[in-house]
Amino acid sequence: MHVGTGASIAFWIMAVVAVVSASGVILLKDIFRAALLLVVSFLSIAGIFVTLNADFIAAVQVLIYAGAISILLIFAILLTRDVQEGNPSNRLKIPGMFMGAVLLTALIVVFVNTEWRLSTEAPLDSTTAALADLLFSNKFVLAFEIASVLLLAAMIGAVVLARGEDE
Amino acid sequence: MPLRDLYLLSPEISIVGVAFIIIMLDLWIERKGLLPILTIVLLGLPLGFTISLWGTEEQAFDGVLVVDTFSIFFKVLLIGVVTAVVIASQETAARFRRFQGEYYGLLLMATAGLMLMAATRELITIYLSLELSTLSAIALVAFFKDTRSTESGLKYLVLSGVSSAIMLYGMAMVLGVTGTSSLVEIAKAAPVSSLADNPALLLGVVFIVAGFGFKIASFPFQMWVPDVYQGAPTPVTAYLSVASKAAGFAVLLRVFYLAFGDFSSDWSMLFGVLAVISMSLGNFAAIFQTDIKRLLAYSTIAHAGYILIGLAAVASRVPGGEAFGPQGVLFYLTAYAFTNLGAFFVVIAIANKIGSETIDDFAGMSKRSPLLAGLLALCLVSLIGVPPAVGFWAKLYLFNAAVQADMVWLAIAGAINTAISAFYYLRVIKVMYLSPAPTEERVRLTPPIGLAVAMTTTGVLFFGIAPWFLLDFAIRATSGFPG
Amino acid sequence: MPVDRLATGCQPLGFWDGMGLWEQWGINFFPRLGDTMCRAMGGATPGGIPDWLIFAILGLAGAFAVVNVAMLGVPYVILLERKLLGRFQHRVGPNRVGFFGLLQPMADGIKLMTKEDITPRVADKLVFSLAPLVFVVPVLLMFAPLPWAPHAVLADLDVGILYIVAVTSAAEIGVFMGGWSSNNKFSLFGAMRVVALVVSYEIPLVLAIVGVVMLTGSLNLAAIVEGQRFVPNLLWQPLGFIVFMIAVSAELNRAPFDLLEADSELVSGFHTEYSGMKWGVIQIGEYAAIIGFSGIIATLFLSGWKGPAPMPGYLWFVLKMGMIISGFIWVRATIPRLRVDQIMNLGWKFLLPLALINIFVTAGEILAYPDGLPVWLIPVNFAFAAIVVAVAARLLGIQGQPRQVVPAPPVFETMASS
Repeated sequence: MHVGTGASIAFWIMAVVAVVSASGVILLKDIFRAALLLVVSFLSIAGIFVTLNADFIAAVQVLIYAGAISILLIFAILLTRDVQEGNPSNRLKIPGMFMGAVLLTALIVVFVNTEWRLSTEAPLDSTTAALADLLFSNKFVLAFEIASVLLLAAMIGAVVLARGEDE
Repeated sequence: MPLRDLYLLSPEISIVGVAFIIIMLDLWIERKGLLPILTIVLLGLPLGFTISLWGTEEQAFDGVLVVDTFSIFFKVLLIGVVTAVVIASQETAARFRRFQGEYYGLLLMATAGLMLMAATRELITIYLSLELSTLSAIALVAFFKDTRSTESGLKYLVLSGVSSAIMLYGMAMVLGVTGTSSLVEIAKAAPVSSLADNPALLLGVVFIVAGFGFKIASFPFQMWVPDVYQGAPTPVTAYLSVASKAAGFAVLLRVFYLAFGDFSSDWSMLFGVLAVISMSLGNFAAIFQTDIKRLLAYSTIAHAGYILIGLAAVASRVPGGEAFGPQGVLFYLTAYAFTNLGAFFVVIAIANKIGSETIDDFAGMSKRSPLLAGLLALCLVSLIGVPPAVGFWAKLYLFNAAVQADMVWLAIAGAINTAISAFYYLRVIKVMYLSPAPTEERVRLTPPIGLAVAMTTTGVLFFGIAPWFLLDFAIRATSGFPG
Repeated sequence: MPVDRLATGCQPLGFWDGMGLWEQWGINFFPRLGDTMCRAMGGATPGGIPDWLIFAILGLAGAFAVVNVAMLGVPYVILLERKLLGRFQHRVGPNRVGFFGLLQPMADGIKLMTKEDITPRVADKLVFSLAPLVFVVPVLLMFAPLPWAPHAVLADLDVGILYIVAVTSAAEIGVFMGGWSSNNKFSLFGAMRVVALVVSYEIPLVLAIVGVVMLTGSLNLAAIVEGQRFVPNLLWQPLGFIVFMIAVSAELNRAPFDLLEADSELVSGFHTEYSGMKWGVIQIGEYAAIIGFSGIIATLFLSGWKGPAPMPGYLWFVLKMGMIISGFIWVRATIPRLRVDQIMNLGWKFLLPLALINIFVTAGEILAYPDGLPVWLIPVNFAFAAIVVAVAARLLGIQGQPRQVVPAPPVFETMASS
């Protein structure tokens, strides 16, 4: 598929912002700022979805990740005591970084050396209806239903675990 | 969606329905003791549906859900396991004033997820089923909300999250190379003849193995096992060690035979190496344990290693003939279910009375309760793999499969590990029979847990003496494999 | 989204036919300009100005225009609120600066800009300064897909309504940043209350939209307006409208849900420490959100730019927005503030079930009449909505005597008491 100049520029801006802010999440000592950078990372990933013509996914990414998950995350941070002390230093920092670097190298080598299956079809103009058709098609309706039971189980689990100390 | 599809899905639908019913009934029923009984009675429904489907070879939902003897085998096994665990849970669950219904409900939902894992052929559906079982299990692990239980729950949550992420990444790579998430179509669309020719496919497969490795508690995702098993309520530990392992192997067999069957020579070596590392690691670490639940946790890692032999022994498949590897896996999983559940149930029965799970506190158990000591000894002997118990046959079939597949070194590694494992299993038996008892107080068996112990140990003994009943089922279940 | 989705690139031939001059150049100034530029370059031919540059320039210019419309609206919404509140309270309201007090907002603006801008010494200064921006930007983003008149859309998004819900939910991060970085417990309590509120009310908000989306079969706001052929969606969706209005009030932190700035408890919530133009920016964000959400309500439920009388579309739209804003002000003047636990109960036990019922009923109606709902369903819907609301309200204990005092959950106790 031909990628326009504008889309390329947008992609590179988003990609750099996503990577830089994601690195900030793990490098910053201040947990609150780390959480804010996580939001930035989520938003730039939503931007990357837009450059991929996946507008519905992009909106959902913003709604769920930037709008809900990160807010709950920050909420949890605010409810945590001693949050001012920030991230404790970690003995495993050096080995962790080493493993991360190894994984990164492996992934880059793999991604560069692989022949990916590229779609030759033109991107859809409107993805929402197509997504819905696929999601409720006979093939994926089972996954859809499992997801609803999964959410229910998660909710029941949360209710059980959030019960008072006395019970 | 035709009605026939719903009928084929009926075991899962009905088990989730039973979970709803139990959770709702909990709101009205005053005598909470009725809940487990009702659960067991209602479990007859999914069991009935499952058995009624035995013998059908059909697909539903555009081939996503497959109903064959293989999946039915696992569904029956899983429903059996959850029934036994519900029976054995009664005393544990009675400790809560509220949320007993949720406890049973979550157990059933976890089972539904595991049943779907064994019966689906599409990566996204498999992933969601896996998460359904894992999330329910996390809540169950942390159910006590005391320090240890919460820590276990947290560890389980974080590590399952990491492993899920890795597995999804692997699935995404497979999707990127093949352009489909359906196992059957992956097999058709895979562009190369060897995994080594396509690095992304190779890495994707490795990541998927890592993700399922978490479920079956094999290397390299074994580190959560001891802590989680120790802190979780013991019935939940028993459930996790057996049910989640069984479903994990079911899905591994399905994915690798069906989607990556052409690359078997590539991954059989991978599984062989993982098998040896898992069993050695589990056995060596188990030697130093003083807590019986931690010991059984490490032993579960070792057993995951033994079962992986069956996956590695893919070459044992005679063309058009019997597949020794999968047969051995199915046989071993069932044998392990009986044996390990039995061991855990006896531990529950003893620990509920003496209030300790330390091996040294089991001293003189042969005097305090000859029956329980004898049954625990039987289960441990079965875990070693000594003749009168079913564990012997299980190991025999697996090692035989390895030999048939020209992987003698695997069989040898398994044998050496069996010898090592005998050391720590026998130590428990030694403590129970030869150490002096601290008190003469008798340890009595209460009816519900006694029923559970009786069910499982009978199985250990019966299939130990007459293994062909079980083997027959295992052979029939794998006859159409990969389906 | 492809470039032409923003209606700034080359339009197909004949696109402008049949539109009045005013529509061509007035409302659609930027699309028309983009079209002209595009044609002048001979389409996106190599050698001319590249397509993406036109897109970027016109996008920025259009964004500038729309943002300014919103920004200029804010002072007059504030003035309207002060005037109306005055009338509700038998006062006159601001009437000194300019004719009828019309220049009052200007005076306020000048005052704010010349005020000292104080940053607390113990504040997290970077986050403190960024918070007002993070609060206001999502609100301004909300205006992009709003259709002011036929074709007068800055970004004609396919996922329009979902986009709006998504970006507005990000505004709460700004609230959090302000509350946290002020290093002041009242600010923090205010921020935490907002989040508890918004997380709870976002669910009924989105679910109430689902009914409208099902009727139209599109998330696109222009398509939703076009879909309201003869009557506005309000008539088909009375229950959804009620739920949406209440949820929007909560989302806007308007009375009776303004506990984040409950002055008697929390001074003024998360922006206690803000002063000068930073406070002004937060104020702009709050009132721009009111304008934006009024536009969304007008679009979703009141058939947007359409109206029964021949009047330009944007006038209808602004008229409807004004009505809704006045409604919000009326509510603020009438209903006393709710307690935290009452708000939670209302959200989870009243609005959420109602929104779900609305989805089920709407789905049933569409299933029964796939070719368009019959007219007799309108009174039925209203009767049904009245019954459901009455029953749900009784179950919630809003009507009659309160049956029991519900103790606040521990988390809110810590928030309320310091």
